[in-house]
Amino acid sequence: MSGVLAIEGFRVEAADGTALVRSVDAEARPGRPLTLLGETGSGKSLVLAAAMGSLAPGLRAGGRVMLDGTEMLSATPSARRALWGRRLATLPQEPWLALDPTMRALGQVAEVYRLVRGMPAAASAEEARARLAELGLGGVAALYPFQLSGGMAQRLALAILRASETPVLLADEPTKGLDADRRDEAGARLRAEAERGRTVVCVTHDVAIARALGGEVAVMLEGRVVERGPAARVLERPSHTYTRRLLEAEPARWPELPPRPAPCGEVAVAAEGVCRGFGGRPVLCGVDLSVRRGEIVAVTGPSGCGKTTLGDVLLGLLRPDAGTVRRLPGVVPWRFGKLYQDPPSAFAPHQTMRQALGDLARHHGLAWDAIAALVERLRLAPALLDRRPDALSGGELQRFALVRVLALDPVFLLADEPTSRLDPITQREVSMLLGELAGERGLAVLLVTHDAALAAKLADRTLRLRANGTDR
Amino acid sequence: MDRHLLGRFLRPVLMRLVQALLVALIIGALGFALMAALPGDQAFRLAAARYGPDMGDAAAAALVHRELGLDRPLAVQFLDWVGRLLRFDLGHSLVTGAPVLEELAMQLGYTLALAGVALPLSALLGLPFGLLAGLRPGGPVDRVTLGLSVLLRAVPAYALGLLLVAVFSIRFRWLPPAGFEGWREFILPALTLALGLAALSARVARDSVAAVAASPYMAFARWKGLPERAVVLRHGLRNAAIPVVALLGLQLIGLVEGLVIVESLFSWPGIGHALVHAIFARDVPVVQGAALVMGLIFVLVNALVDLACALIDPRRPRAAA
Amino acid sequence: MRVLAPGRWLGLLLILALAGFGILGPWLAATDPARQVLADSLAPPGTGYWLGADHLGRSMLARLAHATRLSLLLAAVTVASAAIPGTLLGILAACRGGWVESGLVLLADAVLALPGLLLVLLLAAFAPGDFLPLYLGLALAGWVEYFRVARAMARGMLARPHVEAARLLGFGPGYVLWRLLLPGLLPTLGVLAAFGLGNAVLAISTLSFIGLGIHPPTAELGSMTTDLLPYAHEAPLMVLMPAALVFVAVLGCHLLAGRGRA
Repeated sequence: MSGVLAIEGFRVEAADGTALVRSVDAEARPGRPLTLLGETGSGKSLVLAAAMGSLAPGLRAGGRVMLDGTEMLSATPSARRALWGRRLATLPQEPWLALDPTMRALGQVAEVYRLVRGMPAAASAEEARARLAELGLGGVAALYPFQLSGGMAQRLALAILRASETPVLLADEPTKGLDADRRDEAGARLRAEAERGRTVVCVTHDVAIARALGGEVAVMLEGRVVERGPAARVLERPSHTYTRRLLEAEPARWPELPPRPAPCGEVAVAAEGVCRGFGGRPVLCGVDLSVRRGEIVAVTGPSGCGKTTLGDVLLGLLRPDAGTVRRLPGVVPWRFGKLYQDPPSAFAPHQTMRQALGDLARHHGLAWDAIAALVERLRLAPALLDRRPDALSGGELQRFALVRVLALDPVFLLADEPTSRLDPITQREVSMLLGELAGERGLAVLLVTHDAALAAKLADRTLRLRANGTDR
Repeated sequence: MDRHLLGRFLRPVLMRLVQALLVALIIGALGFALMAALPGDQAFRLAAARYGPDMGDAAAAALVHRELGLDRPLAVQFLDWVGRLLRFDLGHSLVTGAPVLEELAMQLGYTLALAGVALPLSALLGLPFGLLAGLRPGGPVDRVTLGLSVLLRAVPAYALGLLLVAVFSIRFRWLPPAGFEGWREFILPALTLALGLAALSARVARDSVAAVAASPYMAFARWKGLPERAVVLRHGLRNAAIPVVALLGLQLIGLVEGLVIVESLFSWPGIGHALVHAIFARDVPVVQGAALVMGLIFVLVNALVDLACALIDPRRPRAAA
Repeated sequence: MRVLAPGRWLGLLLILALAGFGILGPWLAATDPARQVLADSLAPPGTGYWLGADHLGRSMLARLAHATRLSLLLAAVTVASAAIPGTLLGILAACRGGWVESGLVLLADAVLALPGLLLVLLLAAFAPGDFLPLYLGLALAGWVEYFRVARAMARGMLARPHVEAARLLGFGPGYVLWRLLLPGLLPTLGVLAAFGLGNAVLAISTLSFIGLGIHPPTAELGSMTTDLLPYAHEAPLMVLMPAALVFVAVLGCHLLAGRGRA
């Protein structure tokens, strides 16, 4: 039988002897995909690199990685390379970086037929066209990678890998860098490859991908497989604590939040019939919305439907083309705040948190004690105050961003995908905090998110925008 | 031709045309001001500059004064001056009396010959080292070329030329120190120019090759199963060439500056040497003509570099916008 | 500034050493650099002159020290005159946009249309041998680079969420400029300025060498080489000295700039 990847007692040590991966056993075969699930640093990517034979030179690997009876670890580099594109292939991380920026889409597929499989030029182009059409890329054959969206680039990379028709397909973090609402699509695509009879091995931190792919799941933590079994069982009835924590971090499984007092405060912001376009293209059309103090309203919808635009219009960062925006009268502008999707970019890279918050306190005549109390309230260690953004994690930065906003006693907060770049467990913490603070401080929150489950969990009500920028 | 391609090739050409006009305007303005700053009678000088020095008696000057309309407003005189420049009516040298255009044509030939030898020579010296260094960043070749290029770029071009003369002409008597008779006279000036340029191009080639070699698209090309030859030829070469070709535009500035220095040092009868001499002699028509020709060639070659970049890099117009 | 890489320390050290030589040298030599003692023409180092005497019997030490000071000072003034307006105009263009930006970009493009040296030469033609056209030319040709870099970086930073966040937190344009934009720009502009300093030293000595920079009898590193060239056979070391000082100065500046720029 062909296309069997078997991993037995696989381990990796760094040059200084530190164990990075200790004893991994797993197997994937046609029709039974394998997902290695774990956080960054769990060693899951090293398994994939070893299977390809592209481990970094300083690392020592032990155990066995067998592809249809060939031992990959002891094979010579040229023997391993002879398998690439013939027996196994890898879907690269962030495919838009892995496509040749100066070659058209068609050529990147056709060269596999021409140069790997030895077909004549005309037939290669024809086959390539067929692969692109299969993946819905018929219209972009003549485009360059920089003209494609992230999702399209990933489909182009898949078309290239379909052209080589290798029995084994490896996928490295297939959702990394994709827009949130494209992630489900990536899972479905990989499943389609498995259903075509290929052996799919996927490395990811995303539980949703593991669920979409099915087959077998191995959960990795600190270089070890802590739990392994059929996806249906592992993801429904996990036995290891870590797996359980991982699953509980999914918004759909969060416990119910403590009930907030029913929002009865004044209306903090309200929009009536708001329209806004960019460069002549309408993005928002006739949207009505109001948010009361103490209330969390979620805005969801597909990419490009104007979720963030609506928030920026409410904040006054953008002027509406039509319609009116009303904000609580008599309140200074800086009591309307914003949380950003990418926490590191929301801080000046050269300032420590103490400098940034100190400037804020001086500018508004606040006592430092008030800031220090907020830092403590958001469970941030005081030692973190002396770090610059590049030395803080996304979750820590997002909490500092909350400190900065809360210090000004806000009435309204636009939270623009505040947790989408955070790892699942931190995502849950920050979301919970947001929920608590809205009730505690009478804060009106507009939560912009792609994640319907998160919206359902956190928000009092949800506004769904359609792709054409109208509300339902 | 779709709009993308049109923008890719037409826009840079148009931009360079505007730039050429600007060059003529700036040089014309400076030339006009230089002329006005010269001591002596304006009519004499202008008459000599336009029609040759035999026009230089008082009666002729009076005639010229009327004919040239020196009593017209300054702005009109200036427009007239620039208009002549745009028609390439460069006038006569104040020193030799020969038409500037004729002199420049001959000098330009010498300059182009020198540049034509120096540029390929710099590529020959710089690119192989850059390539080898880039393939093994941090390796011995990389370190040695880095050190050499830092040292070389700190040596003033005139000192480098003098050193080469001291070694090859005076110490070993292999090559002539100056003159322009045959190919042997080319070697030292061309080498002086080329070494300075190569120090820069080796670094750019090194960075570009290192970036491409470590790029995910090279790894993916291998994972696709392409033979190494195809990986390098189809995916490596073009991508690595983009910054090196774009650098040519920057190199041109260095080349123009280098030509002025090297031609003066080696008494090379080119246009840079002529420019320096004319400045000493306050020969404004020649100063202006030489600067104009050098400026226009600079723009022209830049336009060619733009086109080459647009040909090999499809992202070009987007990156520029 | 955070800790510098070793190569950049070496560069700083070289520049400080040269600056020290420029300041202390005249005091060490204790003679007028223009004082001629024809009897001592081409006296070798040691004999009453630490570094010997030139063809006119002038103290080489005194002349080299004066020339070094002149080069560094003129280069520093030139770089400051290019960097400060260039940076401010770049930030202004990025913040204002509209016709202010278009106008400034057009101006910068006009300057870039000519290779810098050509502009300097044309200005030098007005008064060969004077400081003023040399300084004006180098500063005029130089500001564009700071303008372009400052404008591009400031545009990038203004588009980043942290500037928008500062505005929402109630900070005014002054805070954005002094506490957010300038500190972010300084490291890159410092690299540019160090590079520019080296290139200015190079340009001044080169122009003086071909006779279009600063004229004798003022001691200048480039024109000293020209003066001494006819005596290269008798005193090769003396021809080498001024060029070597230029080399060390430029090397120091380039090392200080580091590898941030090709």
